[in-house]
This record gives sequence, structure tokens and C-alpha cells, in this order.
Amino acid sequence: MSEKLEVLLLDDEPIVGKRLKPALAKIGCDVEVFENPKEALTRIGEKEFDIVVTDIRMDEIDGMQVLEHVINKSPRTRVIMITGYAMMSLAREAMEKGAFDFIAKPFQPDDLRRVIAKAAKALGSPIDFDIPAAE
Amino acid sequence: MPIIIFSSDSYQKSSELAKKTAETLGYKYVGREILGSVAAKYNIPEAKLTKALDEAPSFFGMSTKEWKQNLAYIREAVLGEMLADNVVCCGLAAHLYVLGVAHVLRVRIIEDPEERVRKVAEQGHITLEKAKKLVQRIDKQRKRRSIECFKKNETDPSMYDMMINTSQIDSEEAVGMVTTAAGYRKFKPMTYSIKCMQDMELEGRLLAVLLKDYPEVRVQARDGAVVVEIKALKREKNKKASAIKELVGKISGVHYVEVHVINDIFRQAAESGR
Repeated sequence: MSEKLEVLLLDDEPIVGKRLKPALAKIGCDVEVFENPKEALTRIGEKEFDIVVTDIRMDEIDGMQVLEHVINKSPRTRVIMITGYAMMSLAREAMEKGAFDFIAKPFQPDDLRRVIAKAAKALGSPIDFDIPAAE
Repeated sequence: MPIIIFSSDSYQKSSELAKKTAETLGYKYVGREILGSVAAKYNIPEAKLTKALDEAPSFFGMSTKEWKQNLAYIREAVLGEMLADNVVCCGLAAHLYVLGVAHVLRVRIIEDPEERVRKVAEQGHITLEKAKKLVQRIDKQRKRRSIECFKKNETDPSMYDMMINTSQIDSEEAVGMVTTAAGYRKFKPMTYSIKCMQDMELEGRLLAVLLKDYPEVRVQARDGAVVVEIKALKREKNKKASAIKELVGKISGVHYVEVHVINDIFRQAAESGR
């Protein structure tokens, strides 16, 4: 395995970060968790992450704004959108704006790990995680 | 890559464009040719499957029960093909039941009414007046079928991502427009849309199995968790729920089954009136 993947995880539900941080650490990710979008954007301004995982529906700043900000600041960063309000139009909008993937909540940690592995591969830093043939 | 569904009032025109699009993109073409294997699998005449696609159930024609069943067989096969991606589908009513999947590009082919009438007259060797009446009858029947059977009006433009008038845009241009749109990022498969398609495919397989014995069954699948809803008399409730659990539990991809039995008040009223 190569260097650790730098991942920023943003979700205003504390339980999401609490659950996913150790799950992603297991596959070699260095995860910074944020519940406040403003603080996350400040951090994104300071550091270039390999992957940003963001919720969509949040107060003040939503995930789409975070996506646009990341794409403008660092086109190489892969942005993965997660939401409990998944629908076709929102998914298409996210993909059109440059999201790497879009996942509907609830999901299993393996679902996110699989997408992180795909993103790592796309970044040229593959990690040890089997992507099942169904993909 | 996305899945492209073509639909039209004229199967001939849309299948021609669908085939050309599939060829250009190197995708698999899925059209009415698959009906032969569906008919063989369920041991029913292929003509009945074609009829289920073209006509609404009626008192003198196909019963609602048979129609639903035949369509479930077709839907099962179509969704099975769509799991693979890189598919162009046409003429299998998929635009009416593959709904809400972000990586499915839905294309409606239309043509000027006068031109369509002229073509029908030429093909059928009939007068323009007769052709006009025939086209009106076909359109009325198709609209009734889509609304009554699928609760969708297939002539509603908001059902589609793209509408192309082939009286104004020639075939080559039309194929170019569709292949360009297929390359848009918004139609790229993603985890969410792939799961939607997998859930839909499982629902398709479940319906193909259940509709025969439970014509009013409703099925919902998510990540292998299945909720089945049926109507039954109170005294049949436990027996039917167990039978469905057993049947559904054997289907691949199902990890959990929940059966909701709704009291069949009409049957109950009919029985108590005897």
C-alpha cells in the first residue's frame, strides 16, 4: 500500500463521522471529520485532500456548495456525496457538477470503502480493498 | 456508461435509431428480439407478449391478470439486461417502468402527424383518411394503456430527457445528439443509481414469480430486503404470509422478507353476503 489517503469527512450528524472514521482508517485513510460546513471549508482552504466525503443537506452551506468549492480549489480532489434525500435530479446535478460518486443513506461502511477504493485508484494511489465484480 | 431507452409511437422508427445508436457506441441493443427467449422460458406464445406490450387489457382481449403477468416476464428480462449497463433498449415499454434511475437516458422519438399518417397509409396500402383514423385509434389505445396500466402518460414530455422529431432531424443527426448526451457526466452510473437498478431488477424477478398466484401483489426491494404486500382474508393471512416468505426467501439476492397482508374487504364482504 502507498501513502495514506487524506480524507475529509463532512456530515452534520455526529454519528456519521464517529462510525465512518474508524471504518475508513482500516483501509489506510487519514480522516479528518467535520460537522460544521464552514469549518470544513476553512480546512479545505488550508489543505489539499485526496478525497472529500460530504453530506448534501446541511444548514447554512449545503453539500453542493462544498462540491463546487472543492472542484474550483482542487480539481484533483475526488468528492463523494452522501445523502438521506437521494433522488434522480439531485444525483444528476451532483454528477454534472463534478462529483466522483453519489451514495444514498443509509449505507454500509463497505459501500463507502468500495467507492473510496475506486477514487484512490482513479487518483493513482490504489489501496488494499476488494472491489466486487458487481461494479 | 448509461443505459439508453428509446420510445416512440412507431416501433420501426425508434428501433432503427436505437440500433444505430447501439452500433455507434458499441452498446448492446435490446429490443423485441428478446421476447422469443422470454416466451420459451415461461412457455407462452411470443405473440401474447407482443400483445401485452401493444395493447391494454380489455374484456374481449387479454385479461388484466394475464397482461400483468406477461408484462412482468418481459420486465424481468429487460431489467436483467440493464444490470449490465452499456445497453440501448427499445420497444419493450421500459420507459414506463424503469423510472428514477439517474444513469438511464430516456429518449422519445416523435414525428409530424401528417408524415406518420402518410407512412401508415403507404405501408398498409390504405387511404389517408383510413390511415388517419387508424393512427388516432392506436394513439388513443397506447395513451390509455400507459395511464391505466402504468399510471404514466407516455405522451407527457416531462417523462423524457430528450425528445427528437424525426420529421425535422434526420437519423444521423438524431443518433449524434443521443450519443453526445450519453457522454454527459450526469448520466454516468453512480453507486446510488446502480443500487436503484439492482433493487428494480430484484423487484422484477419477484413480480415474475409472485404475480401468478398473487395478482394484486406489490413488492419493494432495497439492498436485498424485500417487503411484499398482498390482500387476503383474515383466515388466510398466516398461511399466505408463510407461503410467500418461503417462496421469496429462495430467490437469489433476497436477504430479508417482510410480508404485509391487507384485509381483503371486498372478498370478505362477498363471502359474508353468501
